[in-house]
Amino acid sequence: MEYEFTLKFKLPTADASTSTDSLVERLGAAECDDALVGVGQPGRVALSFTREAKSASDAILSAIKDVLRAIPGARLIEAAPDYVGLTDVAELVGVTRQNMRKLMAAHLDFPSPVHEGSSQVWHLESVLRWLAGRDGSYPIDQRLLDVAYITMQCNLTNEARRLEPLHHSRIRKWVTA
Amino acid sequence: MSSRAKHPKKEVEEALRYAEEAGSRVSVGGSHAWGKVYCPYDDEECRCGEFCIASVWSTPKNAGNHARQIKRVVDNCTTRKRHLQAAQKKAVSE
Repeated sequence: MEYEFTLKFKLPTADASTSTDSLVERLGAAECDDALVGVGQPGRVALSFTREAKSASDAILSAIKDVLRAIPGARLIEAAPDYVGLTDVAELVGVTRQNMRKLMAAHLDFPSPVHEGSSQVWHLESVLRWLAGRDGSYPIDQRLLDVAYITMQCNLTNEARRLEPLHHSRIRKWVTA
Repeated sequence: MSSRAKHPKKEVEEALRYAEEAGSRVSVGGSHAWGKVYCPYDDEECRCGEFCIASVWSTPKNAGNHARQIKRVVDNCTTRKRHLQAAQKKAVSE
């Protein structure tokens, strides 16, 4: 199966002054030739993969491993698609933004955003799963759902390194009860 | 059309022309890399960020997929979308 996803990394300080051309050559030598490499932001590199693998998790984890082999010390910033706005979901599912907005307004059980402010942000997986559970009126690509689940797991795991054990155990008691 | 070298893979070359028609500049050079595509827009609101400069492989694992990846960067460019929408609105109002 082919899985499509994007990984963004912060370059390690050791490579802060390495030319992007030589970073790209290292990625090419580390079997990242199934990705388009974006080098438009200083200190960062993004790879949009189309990777053949048995599962979404095999695809995404092997890709992360390949990048780290090419650029040791690179830090994952974000695995995508995961954090999305309604426009992004609409584009991925192939409906209009107005349609998504109507669905959200009409259904109390529409997934809650992880952030609500001047813009709203969801985990893509939560919205796709909700859409998939609605009598087939919105056919959801199983591969996209699998990818969205694994990118979410990557981002949550990545964020979790900020957890401070004392606060974590006190908060967990109430928040996940 | 520019006088740059052609990409050896037909699909990739076609995607590069698609990017050039959208205003991107293509530069050639590299070993594993064949060259780079530069988005014509350079503004603060652009969300494409990293992919404003995209590196193209000489021998991508799958030429068709690589071509699609290049076209997607062009199509997903937020600044280009905004320009296209503005042009459409203007055409309708005229």
